[in-house]
Amino acid sequence: MTIIDDLRALETEALAAVESAATSEALETTRVGYLGKKGSLTAILRGLGALSREERPEVGRVSNEVRTALESALEAKRAALHGAARESRIAAEAVDVTLPGRRWPVGKQHVLHEIVDEIVEIFAGLGYQIAEGPEVELDYYNFTALNHPPDHPARALQDTFYVRDLSGDRAVVEGESDVLLRTHTSPVQVHVMESQKPPIYVLAPGKVYRRDVADPSHLPQFTQIEGLVVDEGITFGDLKGTLEHFVHQMFGPKRRVRLRPHFFPFTEPSAEVDVSCAICGGEGCRSCGGEGWLEILGCGMVDPNVFGHVGIDPERYTGFAFGMGAERIAGLKYGVPDLRLFVEGDTRFMHQF
Amino acid sequence: MRVSLKWLKDLVDVALPVEDLCDRLDMTGTKVEAVHSLGATLEGVVIGRVLTKEQHPDADKLSYCSVDIGAVEPLKIVCGATNFEAGDRVPVACVGATLPNGLTIKRAKLRGLESQGMMCSPTELGVGGDASGLLILPSTAPVGTPYAEYAGLADSVLELEVTPNRPDCLSMLGVAREVAAVIGTDFETPSGTPSESGEPASDAVRVSIAESELCPRYTARVIRGVKIGPSPDWLVERITAAGTRPVNNVVDVTNYVMYELGQPLHAFDLGKLGSADGVATITVRPAAPGETIRTLDGQDRGLAGDTLLICDSSGPVALAGVMGGESTEVSEGTTDILLEAACFDPRSISRTSRRLGLISESSLRFERGVDPDLAARASDRAAALIAEVAGGVVAPGIVDAYPGEKPLPELTLRADRVNAILGTALASADVVALLEPLGLGVVAADDALRVTVPSFRPDLEREIDLVEEVARLHGLENITSTRPGGRERIGGRTSAQRTRARIAATLRSAGLDEHIGYSFGDPADLARLSWDLASDETLVELINPMSEEQAVMRWTLVPSLLRAVSYNQRRGVPDVHLYEMGTAFLTAQGRKQPKERLMLAGALTGSWSRPGWNSPGGTLDFFDGKGVLETVMESLHADRWQVRESARAWLQPGRSADVIVAGDVVGWLGEAAPDVLDAFEVTGPVVLFEISVAALLKAAARASILYRDVPRFPAVTLDIALVVDEAVTAERVTSALRSAGGSLLESVRLFDVYRDVPGAPDDARRLPVGKKSLAFSLVYRAPDRTLADEDVRPAYEKLVRKVCGAVNGEVRS
Repeated sequence: MTIIDDLRALETEALAAVESAATSEALETTRVGYLGKKGSLTAILRGLGALSREERPEVGRVSNEVRTALESALEAKRAALHGAARESRIAAEAVDVTLPGRRWPVGKQHVLHEIVDEIVEIFAGLGYQIAEGPEVELDYYNFTALNHPPDHPARALQDTFYVRDLSGDRAVVEGESDVLLRTHTSPVQVHVMESQKPPIYVLAPGKVYRRDVADPSHLPQFTQIEGLVVDEGITFGDLKGTLEHFVHQMFGPKRRVRLRPHFFPFTEPSAEVDVSCAICGGEGCRSCGGEGWLEILGCGMVDPNVFGHVGIDPERYTGFAFGMGAERIAGLKYGVPDLRLFVEGDTRFMHQF
Repeated sequence: MRVSLKWLKDLVDVALPVEDLCDRLDMTGTKVEAVHSLGATLEGVVIGRVLTKEQHPDADKLSYCSVDIGAVEPLKIVCGATNFEAGDRVPVACVGATLPNGLTIKRAKLRGLESQGMMCSPTELGVGGDASGLLILPSTAPVGTPYAEYAGLADSVLELEVTPNRPDCLSMLGVAREVAAVIGTDFETPSGTPSESGEPASDAVRVSIAESELCPRYTARVIRGVKIGPSPDWLVERITAAGTRPVNNVVDVTNYVMYELGQPLHAFDLGKLGSADGVATITVRPAAPGETIRTLDGQDRGLAGDTLLICDSSGPVALAGVMGGESTEVSEGTTDILLEAACFDPRSISRTSRRLGLISESSLRFERGVDPDLAARASDRAAALIAEVAGGVVAPGIVDAYPGEKPLPELTLRADRVNAILGTALASADVVALLEPLGLGVVAADDALRVTVPSFRPDLEREIDLVEEVARLHGLENITSTRPGGRERIGGRTSAQRTRARIAATLRSAGLDEHIGYSFGDPADLARLSWDLASDETLVELINPMSEEQAVMRWTLVPSLLRAVSYNQRRGVPDVHLYEMGTAFLTAQGRKQPKERLMLAGALTGSWSRPGWNSPGGTLDFFDGKGVLETVMESLHADRWQVRESARAWLQPGRSADVIVAGDVVGWLGEAAPDVLDAFEVTGPVVLFEISVAALLKAAARASILYRDVPRFPAVTLDIALVVDEAVTAERVTSALRSAGGSLLESVRLFDVYRDVPGAPDDARRLPVGKKSLAFSLVYRAPDRTLADEDVRPAYEKLVRKVCGAVNGEVRS
């Protein structure tokens, strides 16, 4: 047996050992057994120094061959074992993908505020600012400056909430107080016109209060969205075009819009705005009470008397105003049958929208 | 206003179908809220013409007829009547029709022949007593027309929504005028002139008016010798259609004329009016203090000082414009009538009717404003009708006190102003053509139109009122839609509004649902919450609340949320996470309007979600609430805030904290106290918080965000556990660590709190009694190099020394 023979024998043995290693650990043991510091191939290589000058190159070449063959076999086996291990891990990690996911609860915006926000977005896109005002108002802002005559029935104690006035002022309205819960968002119009010069383009959403007993179609508190535009050259046609744009954005481009003349103290000419019924398209059905139209807002050109209260010249400026109820729009959009659902806080109701 | 179509058609020629009329009214400002059918409709009964009449082959007394009803095929009808011939026109009840006697017509075989309908007698139609034969109609009766329509049996009543500015439309005359204007036809003004005889009215009645502002006009007529009794059918039918029940012929006439012309009338029993020397003295004046009257409905009513009264020599006999008095009521024995037609101040009538809760057809009209010019004409009309239906003789003349007579107003209307407001391009002539049918006198002057406003349109006071008339008659549908330009316009939300939206969005992404509760508050909630108001705070009290539970404006949003939690829990929903952003109201002595503060409040109870196959659930507690706040603060980049243990009466002691921003207490956070849970019928724990939104906006520091280098070199992380007294707060240790950390210490994170189980035996204890262990992860990093453990060691050892000294702790080994 020459040393060359020994090497070849070792090669055969080592390759077989590599091939038969079943795990990465066994493979490593095999590697160490042949190529480690105390490995058998290593030992042979260490013995090279004792060889004769003639033997050395040949033995060196063969031992390198053996080493290279062994290393590449080890590498191939390592990759094979690694792949197999990964595959078996993957097999073990398979899940039933139809099991429910791990969820974080997602909170829901109140449907009324969702509607308010949608309307705000539409009008912000038309260049409107968002204005706010106090919920406890003075009669002047809620009624007088909005051209309500002194004996207007809306001022009656049975319709409007009055607040105890602690200022010591002698109350002039309704005998007791001229401080009240605003009955509409329209007083914001007056505040804006007092503090801002035209051009004015504002939208004023907010809570308003009227003395109605809570029932399926009434609440003593509800949500209004008011719009006001004051500028040079504003016409009723502008009002109409603006509201048509709004309706098409809010309810869809197929809905038709109709303005019917109406009366409001603080606008003239005034109109009520109807949208064609989504169910019947205007033919009349049960959902629209056979009318084909659903009333959604009131509007009109700002009455010159209102401009008079805030010192805007009605000959130079004209304007329009409109107001709508978020509850009404939510009711129409989603068919909510009872307004009280909006204030009860039932989370099962909230999550429907 | 209820408008009988039959009545309307007497006054104006309505040639279009009811639906079209309703549309026209809708689109010109008089909304038709409903259309009711009155009278027999006899649906399915039409006019037919007998084409052939043959003997029934199997029945002597029956004939077999072919009848044209305007359909493609004539009907085959078997008939038992004999009083008709081929060619006659008769009412035919078709298959499916139901007659007033309840008979429903069906296809039927009579002695072997099919009958497809029934020809009707007057009795069968309920229009007369003759049952002996068919109702033979004139040869002009149109074949195929519904019989009820042909015979005028049916009536439609339109229910109109009359806006407050249109008192004129509270009468048939006014509606007729409006209808004529909007459909472009003529109308007729009903009038009547009584034939007069006997002593003149002025010999029997004298009228004086105390304040012409309150009563611009008062007229009185005298009718003698009437016979009170039931009204004739036509009169009953009319006032019933208008919505009033018949009383007697005289009262019915006053109601009829009120509906017809819009002038409320009152009939006094002249014999019961106090008189001097046979002359009744009517005085119109405000009530004196302490006066009372018994009204027609038998109620004794005390009168406020500004109640306008009709008085005779002995005292009040009627509440002007609202209701008559019992003592002078027209009754069966009445023979002589004093007929009042007057005009009263709308505001005075409105106050009286509201104060007394008496709303009548009369007061409704006076409240809106009755044309003072109408009184005498209405009086004439009513007197003539009374004489017609109740007999009697009308005394010559009207006693007419008219101190408030005013000339008709004249307004200026510029066509270019019309166009500037409406966005139209109407010529002056167009405007004139639109306004004249309304009864306005329009004259073109040099630069504008001069418009004379008739007395029945008190709403037309200014140019803009005329613009509105032009708009609605021109048709809003005919105005071209445009949109404003506006060069200097700025739109969008303010920064504060955007930040509020960001806070709300963060809360939702943290799992909270938005609630909107009532702004009203229950003063008893002060006790339920053991909430003490500050000495300078007062609740905002409503003078006229809907209920005791809503008697004030809420000063905190907490009850609103607790009630919503309770509502959900009672309905089997245990996991409730709510936030509300809304106004809280407080006032103080000397204040007129309250302070309104926008608050953010939250309530958390149950779990974030029900335990699942892969998530444990777990009951929400203080730290879930705090975590929500931390998340909100992080989204706002607010870092100058902290919480501090506090004692809020509505929170459980030891789980109650104030929220402090820049040194100010701006809110609180904690778990609801057991008493509060009981008072609101809520199952705990419930975590609550409430913070001033203004303070959050102030704390938000997004605007000052500056870029910092993202770390490029790895950090060294060292953990340390410190054993300290129970009383030492995590925050104290954390800040001691931070201040002792040196420049390389990047962050300090508490990751564990260890306590021995209370009452554990000594051999199971790992800490001295009264101590806890807080474990922190310290991250050291240099911006310019990779740190080695040795670089950090000196700083770490210095930190340990300093911190142990500062918090009296030691490192847990």
